[in-house]
Amino acid sequence: MILIVPLLCVLHKAMEMNATSGGTEGQRDIYHQKPENKDEEGAQHSEDEQEKCKEKMGKKTLADVIQEMKTFLWNSEKRECMGRTAQSWGLILLFYLILYMFLAGMFSFCMYGLLLTLSPYTPTYRDRVSPPGVMIRPYLHGFTIAFNVSEPSTWTPYVNSMHHFLQAYDDNVQEEKNIECPAGQYFVQDGAESEEKKACQFKRSQLQNCSGIEDPTFGYSTGQPCILLKMNRIIGYRAGYGTPVSVNCAIQKGNESALKSVDFYPGNGTFDLMYYPYYGKLTHVNYTSPLVALHFTDVKKNDFVPIQCRLNGEGIVNDVTNDRFLGRITFTLSIGM
Amino acid sequence: MGKKRSDIYSVEIHGTQDLEKTDKEDEEEKYKNLKGNKKKSKKTDDLKKELDLDDHKLSKEELEEKYTTSISKGLTSARAAEILARDGPNALTPPKSTPEIIKFLKQMVGGFSILLWVGALLCWIAFGIQIAQGVASAFDNLYLGVVLALVVILTGIFAYYQEAKSTNIMASFSKMIPQQALVIRDGEKKEVPAEQLVVGDMVEIKGGDRIPADIRLIFAQGCKVDNSSLTGESEPQSRSCDFTHENPLETKNIAFYSTTCLEGTATGMVISTGDHTIIGRIASLASGVGNEKTPIAIEIEHFVHIVAGVAVSIGVLFFIIAVSMKYKVLDSIIFLIGIIVANVPEGLLATVTVSLSLTAKRMAKKNCLVKNLEAVETLGSTSIICSDKTGTLTQNRMTVAHLWFDDQIYSADTSEEQTTQSFDQSSQSWAALSKIVTLCNRAEFKPGQENVPIMKRVVVGDASETALLKFAEVILGDVMGIRKRNRKLAEIPFNSTNKFQLSIHETEDPNDKRFLLVMKGAPERILERCSTIMINGEEQPLDRERAEAFQTAYMELGGLGERVLGFCHLYLPEDEFPDTYPFDTDSMNFPTSNLCFVGLLSMIDPPRSTVPDAVSKCRSAGIKVIMVTGDHPITAKAIAKSVGIISATSETVEDIAKRLNIPVEQVNKQDARAAVINGMELKDMTTEQLDEILINHSEIVFARTSPQQKLIIVEGCQRQDAVVAVTGDGVNDSPALKKADIGIAMGIAGSDAAKNAADMILLDDNFASIVTGVEEGRLIFDNLKKTIAYTLTKNIAELCPFLIYIIASIPLPIGTITILFIDLGTDIIPSVALAYEKAESDIMNRRPRHKKKDRLVNEQLAVYSYLQIGILQSVGAFLAYFTVYAEQGWLPNTLLGLRVNWEDDYYNDIEDSYGQEWTRYQRTYLQWSGYTAFFVSITIQQVADLIIRKTRRNSLFQQGLLRNKVIWLGIFSQIAIALILCYGLGSVTALNFTPLRVQYWFVAMPYAILIWVYDEIRKLFIRQYPGSWWDKNMYY
Repeated sequence: MILIVPLLCVLHKAMEMNATSGGTEGQRDIYHQKPENKDEEGAQHSEDEQEKCKEKMGKKTLADVIQEMKTFLWNSEKRECMGRTAQSWGLILLFYLILYMFLAGMFSFCMYGLLLTLSPYTPTYRDRVSPPGVMIRPYLHGFTIAFNVSEPSTWTPYVNSMHHFLQAYDDNVQEEKNIECPAGQYFVQDGAESEEKKACQFKRSQLQNCSGIEDPTFGYSTGQPCILLKMNRIIGYRAGYGTPVSVNCAIQKGNESALKSVDFYPGNGTFDLMYYPYYGKLTHVNYTSPLVALHFTDVKKNDFVPIQCRLNGEGIVNDVTNDRFLGRITFTLSIGM
Repeated sequence: MGKKRSDIYSVEIHGTQDLEKTDKEDEEEKYKNLKGNKKKSKKTDDLKKELDLDDHKLSKEELEEKYTTSISKGLTSARAAEILARDGPNALTPPKSTPEIIKFLKQMVGGFSILLWVGALLCWIAFGIQIAQGVASAFDNLYLGVVLALVVILTGIFAYYQEAKSTNIMASFSKMIPQQALVIRDGEKKEVPAEQLVVGDMVEIKGGDRIPADIRLIFAQGCKVDNSSLTGESEPQSRSCDFTHENPLETKNIAFYSTTCLEGTATGMVISTGDHTIIGRIASLASGVGNEKTPIAIEIEHFVHIVAGVAVSIGVLFFIIAVSMKYKVLDSIIFLIGIIVANVPEGLLATVTVSLSLTAKRMAKKNCLVKNLEAVETLGSTSIICSDKTGTLTQNRMTVAHLWFDDQIYSADTSEEQTTQSFDQSSQSWAALSKIVTLCNRAEFKPGQENVPIMKRVVVGDASETALLKFAEVILGDVMGIRKRNRKLAEIPFNSTNKFQLSIHETEDPNDKRFLLVMKGAPERILERCSTIMINGEEQPLDRERAEAFQTAYMELGGLGERVLGFCHLYLPEDEFPDTYPFDTDSMNFPTSNLCFVGLLSMIDPPRSTVPDAVSKCRSAGIKVIMVTGDHPITAKAIAKSVGIISATSETVEDIAKRLNIPVEQVNKQDARAAVINGMELKDMTTEQLDEILINHSEIVFARTSPQQKLIIVEGCQRQDAVVAVTGDGVNDSPALKKADIGIAMGIAGSDAAKNAADMILLDDNFASIVTGVEEGRLIFDNLKKTIAYTLTKNIAELCPFLIYIIASIPLPIGTITILFIDLGTDIIPSVALAYEKAESDIMNRRPRHKKKDRLVNEQLAVYSYLQIGILQSVGAFLAYFTVYAEQGWLPNTLLGLRVNWEDDYYNDIEDSYGQEWTRYQRTYLQWSGYTAFFVSITIQQVADLIIRKTRRNSLFQQGLLRNKVIWLGIFSQIAIALILCYGLGSVTALNFTPLRVQYWFVAMPYAILIWVYDEIRKLFIRQYPGSWWDKNMYY
């Protein structure tokens, strides 16, 4: 709504721009904007004559145009600004103020009505967000993880990113906030929607070699980087429909030998069922997404190695052309020695 | 024979002969003078030279000398070739025409095209940059650029095609060129192509030939030419080798290029060829007259300026805002593209063209053929019609209008389809008169026309005799039979010395052995030969009283501009003229004096019966009708009066002078509403005087005008800011037709040149069709206003998303491709449908629009569409947008400021308001759903917009919702297209549509209803409080 006054001015100006470029017709056009001038035909006529003379003498000079523009902006004779008197401007602005206030009110009312129909716990539709997408950590910007083992400055940002991300997974934090759940089954919490939901522990230590506890550099200092893989959260989504979703990684295109071995933690690189379903951030406050750590223990060095990791499980889609992050993720490792 | 018209038939009461003598002579000079005042002499300079022609005055020997030729042997071939090389071929130079490719390219850059080209260019620049940066979505910009370019090219092709249909004026002039000419060269006759004729060539022409160049006749026998296409004179002109008039246009010894030789033979010397001929000069005059921009073209240009102004202003403004908000320049460029695309109503110009052509089609059905589409509207804004008289206002055929016998004037029916005459036919005098009319007449029906209505039968004979023949046939029937029964014994045809026609017949009464001598001719000449006059069937002496009565009647009929004929007869006494009497027309061995005067008949080319009504309709529609004719002032004035161009109560300066019995100079010119201006007076007028006449008199007749003067009159009218329509049929009208804002040519009587110069052709030559045209023109103007208002509205709903996207950084609510689908998809048929809307009130009862004040797109229209309904639509559409996002988990507050992350291709786990994480593509797909919802909402609200645009002032209920069925077709198509795009093409990713949940179609519904209610309130207040602040600001 802030746009209205500039818009109004722009429109006026557009009319005026046209007016000045249009020569004679422009002059009248300004007149035309003021219907009260209808009875001043006579005066207007003489104006026309003047215009005609000008026309005869040739094109209007720049000074004329500027003068016209000035008169348009502030006509001291008629005390008009942009073709309207103060009163006229007052009225028109008042009108628009009322109109737009009414519109704003109606819009707010409609939005309020809309929000009333929404549940604060679950969105009305979840068809666009499922099946889940996949992301990795560290995530700095882009999906090329390139560093040189011998130059710590190239990999510290990754390590810091990992540490930062894993703070929420610190064992003591998890133990303090979350409960231990029975593995291998969905942690369904019935009861009122508004009730606060419990979250299952996912301890950092479960990531073993990639936990950053024993090796605070997550293997980056040795050229065996850890990458954490995360499935996007979807409210009420039961990943795998009873069978845990697992992860596998492979060279996307090219020489298979570039990637000799990957270790998966925890377990064999599965997302345990107990972490599902998710109940939304309002009630499932301390929920931490389960992770799968990929430990690239033997990757071809000094080369760009494109790796694609896929989720496998029932209900997982990982082969849509348009969405390259749906059930899969592609990233490039480039480890220099 | 050739003289008979001017000597016998025409009535020269006020000495108009003098007037006609000199006017043509100086018209060129006149034209030059007037134009000179305007400092616009470049084109007309050539015309000055026109009449330095003196070849008609020279003797044969002088001619031979001047052109170094020989009348008997002609030029030598070598000399002819030399002159041909010097003067060029005997053909009209076609005007420098713009190459087709230039015309085509012009269409590519006109209107909104420049803006769209800029948009396309920006797209490609953005594509180039993005592809260099490796952005995945770069190709979107490439495609968008291609689509924009396609839109421009297709619109351009469409416009070009429309323009190409209008034909070239010179085409018909060149068609007039005769193919072959018989020329004497090297002492031998030979056929050469007329193009190779040169000055000095001796050519022979015979009946049926086109005159191959301007020719000074050396020898002529019974030669008659048809000059109608050149001078507007409809009767054949005789040609001889005598120098009869100072003015080369009037003299009989010059025949003009492109006119037709009707009968006889002639030999003449070529005195000018090609562009130097008279017709060549008129042609160059016609093509020299610039094609004025039509009012609607000016209006559309004005509108384009406004829209472009808004687009550029907002575009630049937001580009600056975007840059200062730390957006990347590339992003800012992409915003700019969006703003341009959103602002430009891509489909509108095509829609306008379609609407105009629909009206053109409708008008063609009513016998108005529109050549230049834009002229459809011009007629609606016409404020002055300059109408030719002959053939347009009149039937272009002599008809008996009045009779005088028994000392009384009777009126005859002059309508087009007369079958009976209703005046009193019981008198014996009528019986006698009818007999003379029937018998003293050489005209005959062509055989085999028994089933053709009398008025439509083809007659051999001149115009007056034809009129009498038809008149007699209507009343008496079987004229040929009567003539057979009254065998003709002797006859003296017209000749210029006698000025009468006489014949002697046997009577059909077997008991009456007397011969009947019948005579007709110029009334005063006939009266001289009479000693008695027939009153109620009885012969009475022709005393002074009777003679005065005759004089009064003669003056009265003459004053009506009618051609008057006197009729008398004499029964030759049986004893003096027995059965076997040898009548000899040479020695005139029979009495030709002391006859019995029977009556007068007067004839006129009567007005078409539909014209008076049409003129009064024009009047009530605020259109000034001016008659511009080559005819005599008296006839012109009479016709003007009878059709209402000069209304019954109006007086001219001369009338007032006559009534008050004071000299003309003393009359206050302001008192006279009417004016009859002679071509000669016009010649001496300055521009200011002409302006004064045009301003001060509401009823004007220009008589004896030349082509150049017609042009001057049209220009004079245009100086008054009037939109001028000109009707005409001859070549001589073509410059004025071209100069007029709208030239209207007659379809039947019109010459090709006139038709080519015109923008519109009346297929039935009926002036009344013009009224239809005016009505349609005004309607289309109103309806175009509605169409534009309708189209502009949604531009704001398309623009706002971009502005809010930039300022509030929300995910983009609607994409450029989607906008194009609205502009060129859903909105096209509805906006055309508005062209079918009926008028809101009686559009023929209001004044024509002032072309500089009543704009097609005025501030009110723009403001109301942009800032009121447009904003309302945006609000409705945004509600749908927010609904779609909110129901998918993105609450409005989350959306604000989300743009950068939302559009980050690497960021594939953005959390929504509920903590769910979305990949980039999932978000994009949701964004497309948003586009679709926004699109659907605009469509739904455009339905409401379409319905409210049906009227500007009246309530919808007054207008009727069902009267315009096409509107419903429009609504149906709109929704159908939206459904197809949404559900049918929802899976085609490039189009950015997704199948939408059904309920989202209804989100904007309350706003659609609000639009309708709001507009009804607006209209209610406008109707309730005319002239109020509300009316001034809200009525568009």
